Amino acid sequence: MDPLAPRIEHFLRTHLPDAEAVRVVACERSTEGFSQETFVVEADVMRDGRTIRQGWVAKREPIAGLLEPYDLEPEFRVLHALTDDPLPSPPTPWFERDPQVLERPFYVMERLAGDVPVPAPGPSGQGPFDDAERAQLLPAVIDTLARLHAIDWRARGLDFLGDPGPDAARRELTRWESRLAATGFALDPSLAEALHWLRAHVPAVPIVTLVHGDFRLGNFLVVREPGSIRLTGILDWEMVHLGDPLEDVAWCISPLWRAGTPLASCLCPPEEFVSRWEAATGHRADAARLGFWSVLALVKMSTIMLTGLRAFQDGRTTDLRMAIFDNQLPYLYAMLGSVRGWLAAA
Amino acid sequence: MPHLALDTVIDGLIRTLRDTVLPAVQERFARGQLFAAIDILHNLRDRIEPLAALATAEADSAAAALREAAAALEGAPRATVEAALIAAPLAPPLARATALRAAVTTTLAVLAQLPAGTAAQARLPLERHLAAQVMRDVMVLKPSLLEEISKG
Repeated sequence: MDPLAPRIEHFLRTHLPDAEAVRVVACERSTEGFSQETFVVEADVMRDGRTIRQGWVAKREPIAGLLEPYDLEPEFRVLHALTDDPLPSPPTPWFERDPQVLERPFYVMERLAGDVPVPAPGPSGQGPFDDAERAQLLPAVIDTLARLHAIDWRARGLDFLGDPGPDAARRELTRWESRLAATGFALDPSLAEALHWLRAHVPAVPIVTLVHGDFRLGNFLVVREPGSIRLTGILDWEMVHLGDPLEDVAWCISPLWRAGTPLASCLCPPEEFVSRWEAATGHRADAARLGFWSVLALVKMSTIMLTGLRAFQDGRTTDLRMAIFDNQLPYLYAMLGSVRGWLAAA
Repeated sequence: MPHLALDTVIDGLIRTLRDTVLPAVQERFARGQLFAAIDILHNLRDRIEPLAALATAEADSAAAALREAAAALEGAPRATVEAALIAAPLAPPLARATALRAAVTTTLAVLAQLPAGTAAQARLPLERHLAAQVMRDVMVLKPSLLEEISKG
């Protein structure tokens, strides 16, 4: 039981006024997710004399980490706005800033059923899904992404995220360049080459949608039953913003999440993913824009890792998982070389 | 080339073993082994340094690429590249590799300002160097335990 359990129990008790009793029976810090601190909570909740076990997930700002500086509130506001939407995002009722509660801001969402397959080769070397599972999961993933991109974000009050208009690509490039500079590390030549190319190829973005920012294998919650697999949730909305929907497409099909297979998020060939998304949304996946976002995806992931390394180097975090990124970055630079074309030229 | 200094990594290992792992281990022999691991790391910390051969390979490759790139340029761009080459220390290997890596980055910035046709010949040796260096960096890595780290 995590030491925070009593405080989380108190929080639940005060936020469930209709409950006669609330008792946390399990509270464990999750190992998955290297950014925000994630606590998986189970509690017995008594109402009308009956006790039901309910599950929640509490996400707390870390002291230091991959996506600093942290502000959980925008993410909470998006999830809260989508609570009643058929999109499989976790219903998210509460956000708390008072440091008296859990020392740092946090939000609480309902725990959805399922497990999170990770982008790893698995025993088969073909990723975490077999052919039958891919056939069932792919349409659900495409449909979910299409519905995300169809959300009327203005009607949902999500314009607080800032509408970038046609400059959506430039805004994201600037965002990630700033974060990269903030790490203070000397720029690796692979990243430098990519940034020069990106600056020279910023596309105008014709349509602005809600962008998840981290839509990919590793954030798909699935439930497996004999002979079936269902997508039950999309997790990790930390990087949600308004922008180009192709950013989500490029991220999902990136070599980052193929686990050594030729399949986008271990589901299908990247070209098939793109054409299915086009069919589902009615939008065209402009090749130039997709190319821009494909390169930026690798710069973004490199920046995230470098941010973690800086936090570890400075002693602001003791999480060894940040230190392992030095062993991951060469693979990212190799992917950059492949996407940019200079590795194939070797 | 790693971003974290060796002593930073070893200090981190010691801290994690002592503060996170040790409290969760009950079996006495295993705890003893953990203390031994910490003891060994403490004593290794100030007696090891990065492998010079890796830095030397990067430095030699970068220097050759920069000389070739400079030869394909003229005027101020050529002078900038040659100045970065000359400024790189001859030793120790890590400092030389670091300086030449920065010189490659500088040269890429110079080329980005030139018309594509002018820069093309100078880009080729740099791209070959980037490709070779990326492969050298990947080849020394051990199989990733990211899946195990995620699942615990």
